[in-house]
Amino acid sequence: MNVGAGVEEGQKVEAQMRRCGDNVTRDEACGGASDTLKLWRIRVVNTVSRLTKACVLRLTCDHLYFVLSGRVATGGVSMWCELSQVNFFDEFQLEGVSADANEIFLEVAPENLSRALKTAQNAKSVKIKLTKKNCPCLTLAAELPSLSSVSRVVTHDIPVDVIPRRLWHDFREPQMPDFDVSIYLPPLKTMKSVVDRMKNLSNYLVLEANLNGEMNLKIETELVSVTTHFKELGNPPWGDDGSQSSSPTHRDPDLMAEARVDIKKLQQFLTGQQVNPSRAMCNIVHRRILHLIFLHEDVSLQYFIPAVM
Amino acid sequence: MKCVIEGNGVKVFGKAVHALSRIGDEIWLDPQEKGLALRTVNSSQSAYACFCFTPLFFQQYIPDPDIQNGCEAVKCKLNMKCVLPLFRCASWRERRVDRCEISINIPNSRVIFQFHCRHGITKTYNLGYQECEALQAVFPAHLCPNVLMAQSKLLGDIVVHFPVSQEEVTLSMSSFKVTFKTFCEEENNCIKGMNTELMLYPDEFDYFQVGEDSAVTFCLKELRGLLSFAESYSLPVSSQFGVAGQPISFTVKDMALEAHVVLSTLTDPNHESPSRPAPGDDCPVNIPKTSTAEISTCEGPMETEVCVADGEQVASSQGSEVFNPALHMRKMIQLHAPGEIPSLVPESALTTPVTPATFKIRSLLFGAVYSDGGNDKTVDLPSLACASDTEEDGGTEEDLGNNVS
Repeated sequence: MNVGAGVEEGQKVEAQMRRCGDNVTRDEACGGASDTLKLWRIRVVNTVSRLTKACVLRLTCDHLYFVLSGRVATGGVSMWCELSQVNFFDEFQLEGVSADANEIFLEVAPENLSRALKTAQNAKSVKIKLTKKNCPCLTLAAELPSLSSVSRVVTHDIPVDVIPRRLWHDFREPQMPDFDVSIYLPPLKTMKSVVDRMKNLSNYLVLEANLNGEMNLKIETELVSVTTHFKELGNPPWGDDGSQSSSPTHRDPDLMAEARVDIKKLQQFLTGQQVNPSRAMCNIVHRRILHLIFLHEDVSLQYFIPAVM
Repeated sequence: MKCVIEGNGVKVFGKAVHALSRIGDEIWLDPQEKGLALRTVNSSQSAYACFCFTPLFFQQYIPDPDIQNGCEAVKCKLNMKCVLPLFRCASWRERRVDRCEISINIPNSRVIFQFHCRHGITKTYNLGYQECEALQAVFPAHLCPNVLMAQSKLLGDIVVHFPVSQEEVTLSMSSFKVTFKTFCEEENNCIKGMNTELMLYPDEFDYFQVGEDSAVTFCLKELRGLLSFAESYSLPVSSQFGVAGQPISFTVKDMALEAHVVLSTLTDPNHESPSRPAPGDDCPVNIPKTSTAEISTCEGPMETEVCVADGEQVASSQGSEVFNPALHMRKMIQLHAPGEIPSLVPESALTTPVTPATFKIRSLLFGAVYSDGGNDKTVDLPSLACASDTEEDGGTEEDLGNNVS
C-alpha cells in the first residue's frame, strides 16, 4: 500500500462543521435543532469505534462510509455504516482521485476520530482537512469557547492511510443477502441484557425467527439450555425488493430460520450502540449469515455476523 | 500523633489519598506542628506529591501526644494499597462517616484509622507502618521564571483533550500564547498515535508570568490526581516552571490545606529555532527549544550547587540526551531527620554531571523542618551522598526493630 500517495496525487478533503448561530442550515430549515442532531451523529462514530479498532473511511461528495470488510482476522464479521455528508458538515469539499472516481478511501482508527470529535463537541466550529504531516493525517481543528476574547484552538492530527484505487473493490457496499426471514428486533436494551446473561453460559447463541414476528434466542450446553421467546415483533415489508427468490413468499410463516453465531460478536455489536435506532431489524440467511440493520434518520448501520456450525 | 477529621473533611482527605495514589505506591505520614503532611513519590523518583493539612482542617490535631518522653512525632510510611480502600468513594454513599480518627500507636507500629459512621457503627483499621525519615522535596518555586495560575476548570478543560493513557505532554509558553501538545519522542513514532495540540491565550489565565520562553515536557498522567482534586473543590491551580529539564511544580492552596505536585521534565538538547505557526496551519508546530548548554544559575547563595553542563550524551543515531529524571529528582528529594540541617556540598562531591541545579524551597510547611525557620539567606544544601543512600530504603530497619513490642 502506497502510503501518502493519495495526498501527493492531489486528493483533498476539507470540511467544516459550524455551531448553528446565524446560519440557517438545512436541518434548521426542516425544523430540527441543528446542534443536537449533529451530536448524535458524532455518537455514530463512537458506535463504530466500539465495533472495530480499524476500518476504512470512504468519503464521497454525498456520503461518509465506515467500512469493515470481513476477514479471517475479524472472524468474518463485516460492517457498513453510511451517513449523509450534508447532515454532518456545514461545508464540505472533496477532491478525489480523479473526476470519475471522486472519492477518497482512508484507513483510520475510528477511536481516534471519535475522541477528536468528542473534544470538539462544544466547539464553535470544526474544520477537518486531509493533510500530510509526518504521514497523511486527518487534521481536525476546533475553535472552542474560551474565557478570553480569542477562542481556544485545539488541533488533532489523526494518522490515516490513504488506500489506493486498485484496492477499492475490497470495500464495496455489501449486497443484501438473499435472506430467508427478516424481522424487527426486540427493544435493544432487553435484547442486550438477555445476550449478556447468556454469554456467561455459552460461547454460541442461536438466533431464530419466522415470518410470524416470532424470535427466539437460544443457548444450549451440556448442563443447561435457555431460550428467550419474543412475540409480535413484526416483519419488515421488503416486498419484492427483498431479494427473495423470484416467486412470492410461499414460505410457511411459522417456519424458523436460524443462525448460530459467536455470542461475543453479537454482544459486542449490541453493547457498542450509542444511538437508539428508530428501526432495528435482522435478516437471517438460514445457517449462513446474520445480517443486522440499524436505521436512524439518514444513518444506516449494517453488521454481518457469519453463522458457525 | 492523634487527629480527628469531621464528616466532610473525611471526603477531602480521601480525595487527597486518591490523588496521591495516582503517583506512588507508598504514602508517607509526617505529623508536624504546622499540620499533617501526606507525601508520596513515584517509583522512578520523577514525580513527587505532598498534601499538607493545617490544624484548621482537623476537629482536633495533636502532633505529638505524650506517649514517649521527649519523643517527637514519629514519621512513617504506609503501603498505598492498604490506605486507599479505606477511602473508596463508594463508601460515602453506603455509610455516611461522621468522623474519622487517625492515631499512631508507636509501641505496636500501627497507624489506626477509626471511622465513626452512622447508626453507631465504628470501623477500626490497624495498619502496620514502616518508620522512616521524612520524604522531602526541595524546589524553589518562587525562583521559577514562568508562572501560570488558572481555575481548576480551565485545566480540566485542557487535559480533557488528551487521552487518559497519554503519558507526556509538552507545555510551551511564550508571551503570546500557551500551548499544550502531545509529546512524541521520535518523529516516526507519531505515525501510530494521534497528536493533539491546544493553544490558549494569556488572558485566559488568572495569573500569567513569562520570564523565559520555554517548553517543558512532563508526565500528564501523574498530574491528573491533583487536577481532579482541585476540580472537586474548585480551587485554583498555580504552576511554576523554568526551562526544559527543570522540574515543574503545581500547587493548590486553601486555608486548610496545601497540595504540591512536582514533576521532572525532559531535558532537550536540540536547538531548533522557534517558530510560531498561525492557528490552523498545517505545518507541525516547532516547540521553542531552549538551550540547555547554558549553565542554569540563580540569584543568591545557591550558586554553589550549580549544574555543570548538559546532561550526558549517549551515542545514538539521534544523539539524544539521556533523560535522567531519577537522578535529578533524587537531588531534590531527600530523606533526613527533622531538625538536622543539611550541610553544604562542594561541587566536587558530584560524581556525575547532572541536569540543572538543585534549588531550595521555603514553603510554609517545609520551613518547619529546618530549625532556623524561613531564612532565605542561609540556604543549606542537602547532603547528596546521604540522600542517595537512604532514599530507596525509606525506613531504617533498626528503628523498626526498636518499636516492636
